[in-house]
Amino acid sequence: MASTRTLHVRCATWEQVEVFHTRKLRRGKLLSMKVPFRADPGSEVTLNLELPNQVVIVVEGVVLKASSIEADARAKADAGKTWLEVELVGFTDEVIARIRRMAAGGDPAEEVFPSPPSAPRTRTTGTLLALSGEDLPADERALFQQLTAELRRLRSVAVHEVLGVDRDADADQIRIGWMNLVRRHHPDLVARRNAPAITHLAEEITILVNRAYDRLRVALVAEGRAASVGPALTPPPGWLVGFEDISSTGSIKSAKVAQTLQNGGNAPQVEPLPPPRPSSAPEGGEAFELRARAMLSDGDAANAQEVLAAALCVYPRSRPLRSLYYVASAISALAKGEVMLATSQLETALAHHEHCTEAAEILELLRRPNAPPASDEMTRLFR
Amino acid sequence: MTAGDGARGTRDSSARGNPRGATEARARPRGGQAVGIDLGTSNSVVAVIDKDGAPRILTTPEGSTTMPSLVWFSPDGPVVGELARAGLDYSPDLTIFGAKRLLGRRFDHPEIRRLSRVLPFELVEAPNGDTWIALSAGRSVSPEEVCALILREIRHIAEDHYGEPVTRAVITIPAWYDAAQRQATKDAAQIAGLTVVRLLSEPTAASLGHGAHRGADRRYLVCDLGGGTFDVAAVDVQAGIFEVLATTGDAFLGGDDVDRAVVDNLIRDVRSARGFDITSDTIAVERLRLAAQNTKHELSDVAVSKVYVPELVQLPSGRAVEYQKPMRRDELEQWSSSLIRRIEAPIREALRRCGRKREDIEEVLLVGGMTRMPVVRREIARVTGREPHVIPNPEEVVAVGAALEVARLEGAIEGVLLIDVAARGLAVSLGGDCEQVIAQSSVVPTREHRVFGTRHDDQLRIEFDVWEGESPDPAQNRLLSRYAVLDLPPAPAGDVLVLVEMTIDTDGTVRLGASELVSGERLQLEQLYHAGLARTDVLRLQRQFAETP
Ligand SMILES: Nc1ncnc2c1ncn2[C@@H]1O[C@H](COP(=O)(O)OP(=O)(O)OP(=O)(O)O)[C@@H](O)[C@H]1O
Ligand SMILES: [Mg+2]
Repeated sequence: MASTRTLHVRCATWEQVEVFHTRKLRRGKLLSMKVPFRADPGSEVTLNLELPNQVVIVVEGVVLKASSIEADARAKADAGKTWLEVELVGFTDEVIARIRRMAAGGDPAEEVFPSPPSAPRTRTTGTLLALSGEDLPADERALFQQLTAELRRLRSVAVHEVLGVDRDADADQIRIGWMNLVRRHHPDLVARRNAPAITHLAEEITILVNRAYDRLRVALVAEGRAASVGPALTPPPGWLVGFEDISSTGSIKSAKVAQTLQNGGNAPQVEPLPPPRPSSAPEGGEAFELRARAMLSDGDAANAQEVLAAALCVYPRSRPLRSLYYVASAISALAKGEVMLATSQLETALAHHEHCTEAAEILELLRRPNAPPASDEMTRLFR
Repeated sequence: MTAGDGARGTRDSSARGNPRGATEARARPRGGQAVGIDLGTSNSVVAVIDKDGAPRILTTPEGSTTMPSLVWFSPDGPVVGELARAGLDYSPDLTIFGAKRLLGRRFDHPEIRRLSRVLPFELVEAPNGDTWIALSAGRSVSPEEVCALILREIRHIAEDHYGEPVTRAVITIPAWYDAAQRQATKDAAQIAGLTVVRLLSEPTAASLGHGAHRGADRRYLVCDLGGGTFDVAAVDVQAGIFEVLATTGDAFLGGDDVDRAVVDNLIRDVRSARGFDITSDTIAVERLRLAAQNTKHELSDVAVSKVYVPELVQLPSGRAVEYQKPMRRDELEQWSSSLIRRIEAPIREALRRCGRKREDIEEVLLVGGMTRMPVVRREIARVTGREPHVIPNPEEVVAVGAALEVARLEGAIEGVLLIDVAARGLAVSLGGDCEQVIAQSSVVPTREHRVFGTRHDDQLRIEFDVWEGESPDPAQNRLLSRYAVLDLPPAPAGDVLVLVEMTIDTDGTVRLGASELVSGERLQLEQLYHAGLARTDVLRLQRQFAETP
């Protein structure tokens, strides 16, 4: 395939954007990067620079130098990789100014449009920037920020909290909670008055609200607490996993719920769920996280990595899980003496979740002259 | 994102209050007017909302509120609507009716197979497996083009009304239309120079068209039996919120099928009474069909009528043979009984899906010309256990709903919200069984995800299929498209996990996105197969249509 290769750089914070620009780039335009493919000098590459607001900026570049990394025993993971030096010709002052404006404007769109199926290979520069909210008039901008915050919040809470109801809410309460939110956020109602960026946020919120409603009503029927709530829905297997409050509490009851659901809802009735727990688990998946941490404290980084990868299947948006995955992978790398790889994994961990203290501490240990971190120093961090 | 195209900059200061009344239409956000179109199998209808908020059905140049969905590819070019009826008489093989049934259909679909044996024009398989229509001299047209000709005619009617360009439309579609059929409808509109603001399901439109005037809060069951399709929807209307709980239907049940059943019997009668077989005489069969349809209409009002064809065939001597046969309503009912029986299943399925008993339904709405037939009404009354509500304009109410939807989306009507569910589930497969991703009856818009792992070392791409349907068996589902996730980083088997997210948005359009699970980096998705016209063909036809008047 002769198409242009794409490099990805993701910055989780605006500081990282700044660091990328001032330190990672030499002379403001030269980027050196290790890539998993070969490229010839003179060929074109593009850089997808993902900003903390998840806006992706597409920058054109030209390969200046390419040198393949020799495979040796120590750096097996790097075999077949290439160091590229790329001149980012598209990183113009205008682009930088745009990024600055976005950085100054706080934290707009959480997500970008998925590329439409009919045009899978189109570049996304223009549309994505339009979604950042930076070009909105002042009043819409306030709304934009408010909706962004709301979306953030909804992404991080349990399903019943999305609908603003108690954990043991009945069918009517669930319906009313859902209806109120839909009435406020349905994209049809928002679309005619507002910019596409705002409609997009409204749609994202509505999606979360609808999903929460669908799951809660299915759970209610499965528990035998309602004959039907809205149109009957046969949940795909594993549907309720990932909705902490319903199925991962670890209690027998929720296991029964899950069982009931697997049986297509015909299983015997289950007693009502226990009263609401104080809500925690900001991004879901803390059960997985605890297991992985236990493994890391036992020095079993490889299995921790597996567990975390599995957990990410359920909670694809969890930053703590992601960063912990990178920490585990860094520890594995260190065990094989691959210091460079470990460092970059730890940096990535921090990029995904700036509060990942373990990553920061192991990085500190790595910076200590002449004394590579001992494994007990690392396992201790997870106790 | 059709909704995003909506009214930018028309800010409304009035509070929502007035749920059903329409406030005065504000300045249009963009050039051109928008209309509501019921693109029917037999008849198409176009409606607008007047400045005073009242819906208005536009009339054809002949003065009718409905336009036959007919295109005659005459020697002088395509003729559309009422005038194309002439073609039915003289060149039935070039006069296309019911193109809507062919839209977005694969040629190997069993019903298409069956249709191709009975239609007076010839169906052929397009290179991508779609159904096309063969015209003479080796030319063939896609159903999209035929529908585009109808839609363009409708656009002209609307432009005559407004005296300015019409560029956007809400178009109604059968509730059970799958993604390929939806796309085909959108393509037809684009070719005709219309942007689809929203595709709206016909029974939903009917409830909107009916409920919005009357302002009645009810639990409705809408039954729409038209020329080609049967649609059922359970819709709750409460305080301006239209909540669609279930939509079902029969894609191949309608007045055309009844006509054909009658014709089969008449052909047999011709054979026994006159001694000749007209089965292969397309002109004679077509004339018989038109006469039978007329008689069917009359038998809705009277118990006895007759089929009359002044000139059925010409004898070798040149003498025309006329055909005349008295027909009773009960004969009609008996001939169509196997079709009438098919009304029950979709209604039961709709009730099952919304978890309702038939007593829970508060009103049964009859929509579509075929519901004028007494036996249809009786059957629906029997199945639902209540006397259905007969509305005065069963052929027009769908278009009225479409026009109200335009007004609603553009902000001319406040306080009306339409909530729909996915009529079908979405599933994916990696070569084996289908795995359900989005369940049927999920409230839309919605999104779910699946994670795929690589299976061999250094695997660079993952291919997967997206299906519509609920079965684990791919053969029971409909293939929507095949995708490839490209440019995966080289790594040992199973190390690269790809997160695929599927979204169904408010008008049932499916969108996909892919990213690497652990890093969250976006991955490129390439569509390898999809049904329907290629984008380039749509654009080419659109240009071509714009050039020829
Ligand atoms: N008085 C009547 N008695 C019986 N049938 C009738 C009568 N009037 C119309 N029909 C039948 O109704 C059908 C057309 O109905 P309608 O115009 O609602 O269909 P359509 O909207 O074009 O089709 P669809 O909704 O299936 O796409 C035709 O089969 C016609 O023969
Ligand atoms: Mg109709």
